[in-house]
Amino acid sequence: MRFAPLVENEILKLLKRRRFRVALLILVALNGLIVFAQTQAKDRRPQRDWRIEAQERVARMQNWERSGRLPQTQLRWVRFEIARVQYHLDRNVDPDAISGPLFARAFANASSYLLLPLLAILFAADIVSSEFAQGTVKLLLTRPVGRARVLSSKLAALGVAITLTVALGGVVAYLFGGLAFGYRGWGAPVLTGFRLAGETFDPGAVRSLPLWEDALLAFGLAWFAALTVGAIAFLTSVVLRSTAAAMGTMLAALIAGTILPRVAPSWEAQRYLFVTNLPLPDYYSGSPAPITGMTVPFSVAVLTVWALAATAVAYAVFVRRDVLA
Amino acid sequence: MESPVVLSAENLTKRFGKREVVSDVSFDLVAGEVFGFLGPNGAGKTTTIRMLVGLARPDRGRVRIAGFDLARDFAKAMSHVGCIVESTDLYPYLTGRENLLHFARMLPDGAQARIPELARLVALQSRLDDRVATYSLGMRQRLGLAQALLGAPDLLILDEPANGLDPAGIREVRQLIRHLAEDRGIAIFVSSHLLAEVEQMCDRVAIIHRGRTLAMGPVRELLAKRGAERLVFRARPAARAAEILGAFSRDGAARADDEETVSSEVPRESVPDALAALAAAGVRVFGVERQSSTLEELFLEVTGGETV
Repeated sequence: MRFAPLVENEILKLLKRRRFRVALLILVALNGLIVFAQTQAKDRRPQRDWRIEAQERVARMQNWERSGRLPQTQLRWVRFEIARVQYHLDRNVDPDAISGPLFARAFANASSYLLLPLLAILFAADIVSSEFAQGTVKLLLTRPVGRARVLSSKLAALGVAITLTVALGGVVAYLFGGLAFGYRGWGAPVLTGFRLAGETFDPGAVRSLPLWEDALLAFGLAWFAALTVGAIAFLTSVVLRSTAAAMGTMLAALIAGTILPRVAPSWEAQRYLFVTNLPLPDYYSGSPAPITGMTVPFSVAVLTVWALAATAVAYAVFVRRDVLA
Repeated sequence: MESPVVLSAENLTKRFGKREVVSDVSFDLVAGEVFGFLGPNGAGKTTTIRMLVGLARPDRGRVRIAGFDLARDFAKAMSHVGCIVESTDLYPYLTGRENLLHFARMLPDGAQARIPELARLVALQSRLDDRVATYSLGMRQRLGLAQALLGAPDLLILDEPANGLDPAGIREVRQLIRHLAEDRGIAIFVSSHLLAEVEQMCDRVAIIHRGRTLAMGPVRELLAKRGAERLVFRARPAARAAEILGAFSRDGAARADDEETVSSEVPRESVPDALAALAAAGVRVFGVERQSSTLEELFLEVTGGETV
């Protein structure tokens, strides 16, 4: 029995259902909305020299820093931002210049910890449980195909769907962003690798990359984060056998992941939670990590462990459990 | 002439927690026979079927299909099986053809080529490209049957195939099952909770109750155990009719149930004489019917009075 036809089946079932079209619609609508909002903001701002604006911003942030009223977490961010803007000023690069490619690049950061995981959950949470809900699992598992192979075909289809979604997200962001801000600029230099060494800014790690390379890396990390969430949602789908329950569980986890680092930044062990590691394209580009000490390789390692463990448990449960639905 | 054994269940036992839902169920099916698995709802029929097709693991016992041990050689064993478990659930958002293609892709090459022929067999050609969500229950049932036949199976396992069908649909399914067994030599396992259904299409039957096989054998033999058949006469005046029929009855008794209904155990060969006697006595007979005995009555006979 060849494997490809099984994957073909699973992809067909994913694409034929409404949820895939809904996911595409969400990507289009969201990107459209953001671009529209940004053009509105841009239009209202009087045309001014970006240098003056950036200098004013640095001065404003330095005032905050000196006021001593900022909590520790915000102070870190403010110091970082001052350093980043100042660095751009020193090299005569507009830190806020926007273009279609830049907009697409920003989409990777903005979507990696909520939107893309959400869409991954949308597919993964129902890929196994829907077969139970429809009763089709009884047909699926009474073919001359072992259960592990059936599950593998579903996992492969999920991987394809997530990859497709991340890629489409990038393309849609580029198309919309380009419409508003111009399609050129993939070769523009990007300064990346900003880092705080303790309390001070460490310029040693700053590198200049062409934008397309930087964007590819950022999307790669966002894709990896989405795959990990997909694997964990896949496990909940296998174990809970109910799409609603699986979705609810995963959404709760995502929400916890966005709240926890804000309300309890000193709880260091949360760096081992998968949700804390999802914004990794963000701190790849230089934003401070949610918990001090988290690095991109660290996050990739944590996510890999989570994904592998979830997949292993999903197989163990699916292959052994009686089907009584 | 010995037909080969296609399905063999040995001492199948399944527990849910402490409760044993199937206990020591054993049977063999040979090619070309229709085997009825009869029992009331909740008797353990579906659990047994789940063990036959590998959806549930037996706590004890073994299933062999076409000589392959199901637990050890799942894929090889299942390549000989087509089945419908419980209800015919297919993908509602796919068309009939897409559903068949989907399941054909899970079978060895050649299954796709059978789709047109099977669509004709279950009379679905004209609706094959409509989404299953728009199908009636009967059509879904027939599509399910086509799906079960895709792999040209040697063994067909059908769980309550007549459920939800109208009388015409039931007759069609019955004819199809007989045709598949007699003309194609497929062994067919049919579960049912309806005695009449099993009576009309099965060669052999096992009666299962509370997870145990109470009796097994050719349908006629089992039905013979049911004892004398009861006839119900619609006749006026009922009291006079009961007097006359008592003489023809096996046990010498006839009971007037109301002013127009008399029930009595008149043997088949005595019915013409009984009718003549009724006519001669001036009793007006409006009809005679055989009282269909219920599954419960059969259980009473088989178990010798143990309550169901």
